[in-house]
Amino acid sequence: MSQAQKVSTRSGFVKFFSDAPVEDITAENNQVSSILNLEDGSFAFLVPIKAFQFEKALMQEHFNENYMESGKFPSASFKGSIADYTKIDLSKDAKYTLQFKGTMTVHGESQEITKEVILVVKGGKVSVQAEFLLKCSDYGIEIPTAKKDNISNEISVTVKFEYA
Amino acid sequence: MAELEQADANKTEYAFATWKGTKVVNLQTNELPGKGVLQYTILHRFGAFNDDFFYNFMGLDNAQVRLTLDYSPTSWLNVGLGHTGFRKTYDVFAKYRLLRQSKGARKMPVSVTGFSSAYYSAIRVSDGVDRTFGRRMSYVHELVIARKFSQNFSAQIVPTLIHSNLTNRAADNNTQIAVGIAARYKITPMHAITVEYVPVLNPNQYPDLSADPLALPMNVPYSNFTNALSVGIDIETGGHVFQLFVTNARGVAEPFAFTQTDGSWLDGDLHFGFNISRVFTVSN
Repeated sequence: MSQAQKVSTRSGFVKFFSDAPVEDITAENNQVSSILNLEDGSFAFLVPIKAFQFEKALMQEHFNENYMESGKFPSASFKGSIADYTKIDLSKDAKYTLQFKGTMTVHGESQEITKEVILVVKGGKVSVQAEFLLKCSDYGIEIPTAKKDNISNEISVTVKFEYA
Repeated sequence: MAELEQADANKTEYAFATWKGTKVVNLQTNELPGKGVLQYTILHRFGAFNDDFFYNFMGLDNAQVRLTLDYSPTSWLNVGLGHTGFRKTYDVFAKYRLLRQSKGARKMPVSVTGFSSAYYSAIRVSDGVDRTFGRRMSYVHELVIARKFSQNFSAQIVPTLIHSNLTNRAADNNTQIAVGIAARYKITPMHAITVEYVPVLNPNQYPDLSADPLALPMNVPYSNFTNALSVGIDIETGGHVFQLFVTNARGVAEPFAFTQTDGSWLDGDLHFGFNISRVFTVSN
């Protein structure tokens, strides 16, 4: 019974966007896995860093090699729960605006975060969507002074999971 | 979290950024510019340290220059053109990925990349030998077998074949074999130390000419050739890679660097040099 209350995906979507004076950088990842427990609201996702696709091959290489050091830190993760969770009714289509709260780990550094998430129930299926900002400096990702105009310290992150 | 991590084991993960640039110093690396990327490189080899170094403005006044332009129509193929001042040489080249180092579902211990180039020397010569098109051609083939051992350390071995249709003497080998070796160590994310050595297995040996200096044509160097040894630093700044190094090879294009180096590290017959690359993404 408890197994049936867990929904998961292996093809979740994460996008990030950096808005800096010289250039905008965006990358997308369709290989994110996530689990949501509908019984108690516990929520986790795992983002394989090397699966981010960039417009320019060299940007992708520098992202992995120089900034995220994906050889050392192959994935980013979130582990926590949806705050003030009350069990949702899957038989009714609805949209809930909630908070999720827990430990975000990027580049080997962990931070406690609380962000807003929209949870949608449609036809008995659950999906979540969130947009939030993360700071490179909070996660030990150094941007050299010469690159400050190319890469923003504040990165806008979008996550979208459609659970089966 | 453990449940989420299980999924990743079935994927194949390819090594990337084994080297910062497409060349170490004179040798190719296994790297190709990405698909749709146009790359422009400027290569310089300054005059020797032991050749009136300051009078020649630290070698700058007699620098050898090479320019190349290449493009990758696919992720596994790169083609390009080059020009070198030495012997007014024009060249065309192709570089092609054969294997990629990977782990996970599909395991491969090394990356293997082939490189083939053809050189045409357009220099005017009046030594009585008819320089037909064929006699002006030489060729180099490199098979780059590279491995990224860790985030910071990469090494490669490069069996190399150099063929010249016309040699200085009838007795010279037209085809020479070299086995290049190279390694890099990254000291920061943007800087790496590189070293490269290209021993020729069947070098052309010259007799001692002090007895009869007129026995050979004028343009033949009166010493035996040495193997090219280079030590350098790679500096990466976004779209550029700057490679600064010291080498005993004066020739910038491959056939000259590998088989016609006459400088020796022991005599201080060394050259400061740089390779600079710039990439432009021209299509996706």
